[in-house]
Amino acid sequence: MKRATGWASIVLGAVMAVLGLALMVMLGPDSRITTGPHAIETDGSVVVTAPRVITWTGLQIDVLVELPAQKPVFVGLGNTVDVQSLVGKTQRLEITEFGTPWKPTIKKRAGRPVVQGAPTSLDWWYADSAGLGGASISIDLPDEPVSLAVVSVGASNLSGLQVTLAYGIKGGFAKGAGLLLLGIGLVLGGLVLRRSARLDDEDEDQYGDDAGEPGDEDGAVVYLIVDEDGVEHELTAAEVEAGGYEIVEEDASEPDPVPDPTPVPDPPAESAREPAPESASEPAAAGTGGPVVYVFVDEDGIEHEVSEDELGDFEIVDDEEAPEDGRPEDGTPEDGTPEDGGQKR
Amino acid sequence: MTFAAAALVLAACTVPHDREVGRIDKASATDAEVAAVYKRYRQVRNAATGLLDPKPLSTIETGPVLAIDTGSFEVSQRLDASQEEDSGKVEILDVQTPRFTRYPLWYFSVVRDVARDVKRVQIFQRASAVDPWLLVSTPETLAATELPQIRTDGQGDARRVRPGDGAGMSMSVDDVASAYARTLGNADAAEAATIEDDSFIQQMRDAAAANSGLKGVKFAQRWSPEKVQYALRTSDGGALAFVTLLRTDTYTVPDGLQITWPDGSPQQAFLQAGIQGTGTLNYYHQVLIYLPGGQGKPRALGQFGGVVSGDAG
Repeated sequence: MKRATGWASIVLGAVMAVLGLALMVMLGPDSRITTGPHAIETDGSVVVTAPRVITWTGLQIDVLVELPAQKPVFVGLGNTVDVQSLVGKTQRLEITEFGTPWKPTIKKRAGRPVVQGAPTSLDWWYADSAGLGGASISIDLPDEPVSLAVVSVGASNLSGLQVTLAYGIKGGFAKGAGLLLLGIGLVLGGLVLRRSARLDDEDEDQYGDDAGEPGDEDGAVVYLIVDEDGVEHELTAAEVEAGGYEIVEEDASEPDPVPDPTPVPDPPAESAREPAPESASEPAAAGTGGPVVYVFVDEDGIEHEVSEDELGDFEIVDDEEAPEDGRPEDGTPEDGTPEDGGQKR
Repeated sequence: MTFAAAALVLAACTVPHDREVGRIDKASATDAEVAAVYKRYRQVRNAATGLLDPKPLSTIETGPVLAIDTGSFEVSQRLDASQEEDSGKVEILDVQTPRFTRYPLWYFSVVRDVARDVKRVQIFQRASAVDPWLLVSTPETLAATELPQIRTDGQGDARRVRPGDGAGMSMSVDDVASAYARTLGNADAAEAATIEDDSFIQQMRDAAAANSGLKGVKFAQRWSPEKVQYALRTSDGGALAFVTLLRTDTYTVPDGLQITWPDGSPQQAFLQAGIQGTGTLNYYHQVLIYLPGGQGKPRALGQFGGVVSGDAG
């Protein structure tokens, strides 16, 4: 699945990137293709595109018309029904075919010399402009049959007319860049997916189906001792054997056969892992009847071993009989000040 | 996730494309245009009313509507009476914009005049791309009158009916205009059986009977239909037609007699000296006629009319 998705992503991304790049190269930073100025020879008052010549929709066009000697001129784009009503009975040049970037087929049509109304006063133009010596419009072509008309204003004509045409996509360069980046992202994403799929395959080959399960890497046993500060120290099997430690098994990786329905606090780690190292290190002293060691604890809490010959100077207290809170039965202060003798451990 | 992002980005882009240009046509008007046209209509009409001068009306009306309104203004001028300003609350209840391949363009609208409690069913027309929108027909119905549903095409634009097309109806729109005029002119005409005997016909017959009852006066009434230009298809396969009829009332009075009309009446305004000998009064009536789908009889739903000219010879 990952592999297939990766491939699809790479292919789609590559196509998008190529399209984006092509769009950027084709349109340039101003997002349009410009052609002109092109001269149109006429001494009439109207140049118009015939019905069905403009067939594109969504395309942004910019038209600049220029006349010499500051002659007034009008340019507008409107529904073909409206434009034909305005200029259909007027002598005009009609562009009957058009190929990009500038391949017009122009025919002369007979009619009255001028249009019957002032084009500037009409409310049905989708875009229109008038000016002295030049006028321009910029519009996204609507999804309707449209025609472009250039009309002289007043008593002048269109002799010396020059037309500059630009067409493109609004924000096309940025859209191309976005497409390119998106395509690159898709290609990279696809490559990552493919690499991930390959690694998955390698892992499968190396470890089989069970690979990766914790605690099962080599089946080795690790011995740990936890010191008084709660720090674990690893021991070798030989050290464990030599030290005579009590061994408590703890298999962290073994899953619970039946999961607890409710979370239960873990028992203290020490109870399982730390089998009272002092007693473990001196197993013989733990009620086995071995030799008794007498110690005297001084004011600084430092223990000093006392021989049996010196015992006369101390009161003997059995340490094992002390209460759990560490306070001697006879009320000896916790700091163990030997005001009344030593302690037996 | 990436695919979703890509889809979103692509969907956000308007992709320019070359398309097959089919029928070259357009809906007659947009909602904004309709609102602007109606606003301008009221402004100009109220200006004309304030001046008691029908001349500005020619910039917003044409044809029989202009003739009727001009007649109404002339009556007011001659009688030195004021016209009622159209300043009350109006509601545009419906607008239907058929599609056209060439000019003239027209659209249908229904406006409710709250003050007068009537509906004006109107047609505005633009004769060419350089002409303004003008009111060409405005029959009125009672506010409670239910208008038939207009059938629309896939783009929501109203469908027109060619005047000569009678498919799915008892007759064509052109035939309705002729049959209705003959029925109004002669209750015994053969066409009278094909037309519903509606309230407009009754009202006109009553008026004609009253004029005919004038002692010693020979009265004749003639009805002439104008060519029907505006008809829309209704959802039941019928048609809603705007029929304009010219009514000519001719009075022939014997020597020594004179016909006069009461002060304040339109007839009196046009024929102030009355009629001695022969005189005529011309009226325009714009009648909204509904032709039901199937074999139902056509009937008038509303009308608007008035005296447009008078001649006393």
